Amino acid sequence: MPGTFDKVAIVGGGTAGWLSAALLAARRPDLSITLVEAPDIATIGVGEGTWPTMRESLRSIGISETEFLRECDASFKQGSRFDGWVDGSEGDSYLHPFTAPPASQTPHVLAAFRASEGTFAQAMSPQAEVCARDLAPRQRAMPDYAGALNYGYHLDAGKFAELLKRHATTRLGVTHIADRVEKVIGEDGGAIEALMLAETGRLVADFFLDCTGMAALLIGQHCGSGWVDRSDVSFNDRALAVQVPVEPGSPIASQTVGSAHEAGWLWDIALPTRRGIGCVYSSRFIDDERAAEILDAYIAKNLPHADRSKLAPRKLAFPTGHREKFWNGNCLAVGMSAGFIEPLEASAIVMIELSVKALADNFPASEAALPAHAERFNQLFHYRWDRIVDFLKLHYVLSQREEPYWVAHRDAASIPDRVQQQLAIWRDQPPSSWDFPQVDEIFSAASQQYVLYGMGYDLPSQSPRVSDTEAARRTAEVREKTRGLCAALPTNRVYLDALTNTHADKPQKGEFA
Amino acid sequence: MANHQVLTGETHRDLRIHTQPNAARGDGVMATLIIPEEFRRVQGEFPIVFRRNQEDDSFAALALFGFESGENLYLDGDKWLARYRPLTLAIQPFLIGPPAQEGQEGQVHIDMDHPRISDTGEGTRVFDEDGGTTPYLEQIAGQLGELHMGHQGSATFIEALKRYDLLEAFSLEVPLSDGSKQSLVGFHIINETRLQQLDADALGELHQSGYLMPIFMAVASISNFTTLVERKDAKLNDG
Repeated sequence: MPGTFDKVAIVGGGTAGWLSAALLAARRPDLSITLVEAPDIATIGVGEGTWPTMRESLRSIGISETEFLRECDASFKQGSRFDGWVDGSEGDSYLHPFTAPPASQTPHVLAAFRASEGTFAQAMSPQAEVCARDLAPRQRAMPDYAGALNYGYHLDAGKFAELLKRHATTRLGVTHIADRVEKVIGEDGGAIEALMLAETGRLVADFFLDCTGMAALLIGQHCGSGWVDRSDVSFNDRALAVQVPVEPGSPIASQTVGSAHEAGWLWDIALPTRRGIGCVYSSRFIDDERAAEILDAYIAKNLPHADRSKLAPRKLAFPTGHREKFWNGNCLAVGMSAGFIEPLEASAIVMIELSVKALADNFPASEAALPAHAERFNQLFHYRWDRIVDFLKLHYVLSQREEPYWVAHRDAASIPDRVQQQLAIWRDQPPSSWDFPQVDEIFSAASQQYVLYGMGYDLPSQSPRVSDTEAARRTAEVREKTRGLCAALPTNRVYLDALTNTHADKPQKGEFA
Repeated sequence: MANHQVLTGETHRDLRIHTQPNAARGDGVMATLIIPEEFRRVQGEFPIVFRRNQEDDSFAALALFGFESGENLYLDGDKWLARYRPLTLAIQPFLIGPPAQEGQEGQVHIDMDHPRISDTGEGTRVFDEDGGTTPYLEQIAGQLGELHMGHQGSATFIEALKRYDLLEAFSLEVPLSDGSKQSLVGFHIINETRLQQLDADALGELHQSGYLMPIFMAVASISNFTTLVERKDAKLNDG
């Protein structure tokens, strides 16, 4: 129909493409969405940790939680644990759990922490003890996506994209074309008119999503949106990734474990059938061989049953930075085409969710409003990328490790001004919504507190007066809740195995939907 | 066959209990025993009736959930459709056993053959990893204590009801919307006429013993038959 502005073409599959397609189709059933995916391109599939936002995303897409967990070999993620980040000594470990301290009671909870003997996370939330016991954040009898504690997921990115693809094409009306984009049609740097596909020919659309990853076929190659390099702040640019099968019945950790090493860190993500291990490092400080040794030593120590001779780590090189413009004309970059800062704190998938949410809520009705939307989107997402860069840097600047990589991280020239200002303010008062005033802040003041006090930053000496009894009451509250939850929650292994065991009994849903 | 064991932190350290209400786990019953101390909580939801034991002419107080054996109209799958759960259901599979030595308090026992016993790793822990009690067990222990005390006082409560002839046989027949009739026979309720005729001395005595309140609670509970009939009707209409 002439005059309508409702045809969306998404270029690229993978997590970014299919999650965008499903989210946009579910939120905007009025749009006609086509996804073009080259049949022979392998996806990167390293983004295997989500934020709690994924629960609402999956619910809105219309996938049941049980189906998602089974199909994606997924497990629950209740936060991140950082081992060896403060000084690398024995027992150096802190948790950044997803469940926030009660926000309005900051003085009380800080007083409670001061009075307690445990870690900051233990004093703030029952989640610390629940994670320490490998317990699930929910019981199976609870309604989908509800939890006793806040949680996201660890998942198999390949299987996740498959599930989303099946769901988007069979339930949400997304058209899938397996073809290669040969040419982007439209004036260079200007609006895109159509795509020329190798087999199918011309594909015309009103709006285009670039989910082509680092290739940035549309936003980079066609639109010429420049790249803002952030490697002056964030040094890591390589990863060696490997997947190690686990023994049946072995415990499944409740959080991503990030272990610091001499020039970066290792991720350890537990799924029901495997552990995903990766060594993230800066090529400025160590070479690939050294990284391989670090990875091998970690596996030898933490997964003694693994047959290391059979493992073939995959090497990944990644840029550190983001686009100058994420939205240019009628093209929006989503996923790695928009930007990437190392996998610490797993911000890749949540940025896809946030981008598509912003697009769905603001999808223009005609070309006329495109420039205004683009400007607003670009401003908001510049802010968000800046906050990611800042928050990740916080993990490094508070370290006392002595290796050259870590010392370089503390060089003032590498620390964004805003981080330096915040640290000055946080000497006097805890992180609060004054520091993070936006509605959908990417990392809340609570997250900043978990990292700040987890790494041993001094509590503000002058905090509002709180009586000892108030602090004691607060501590007792968390302790009682901890006892109750530790008794009532099953282990991750028990929960997730029960899903696969009941698989055969249940009728296949959705065959005729 | 019940398999009663004394509950200990050593033997039952990793034991988990399915606490979720469910017909297959012991909640598929038309009534459960209650103690006078919980009449106030029970009358907010369920009819309170009395069942006569033919052998010794004793009576037991019950919260009524349905019209026929095994029918619990307050249960929908795993959902308990009332704000209160009578103690005798809440404490399953635990019970008070005889004390280890005479004169001591009774011990907490557990029926290891009860369908609430979990062998899957799901359910609520009774003890923590160190053998310490969990909040769940602490709650159960409190409920067992209340039940134990209540059972001991129940007999004299019933004695008083009999002494003043306050129990009358009761039968109920209600037409349901599909044209059928639902009847309920074999239970007793408080005889309101007799209750109104009691003189000041009798009322004073009942009041002093703390029986007047539960008696009136039992009277008030009869209005819950309306709910019970509505649920039965709804169940029939749902097919």
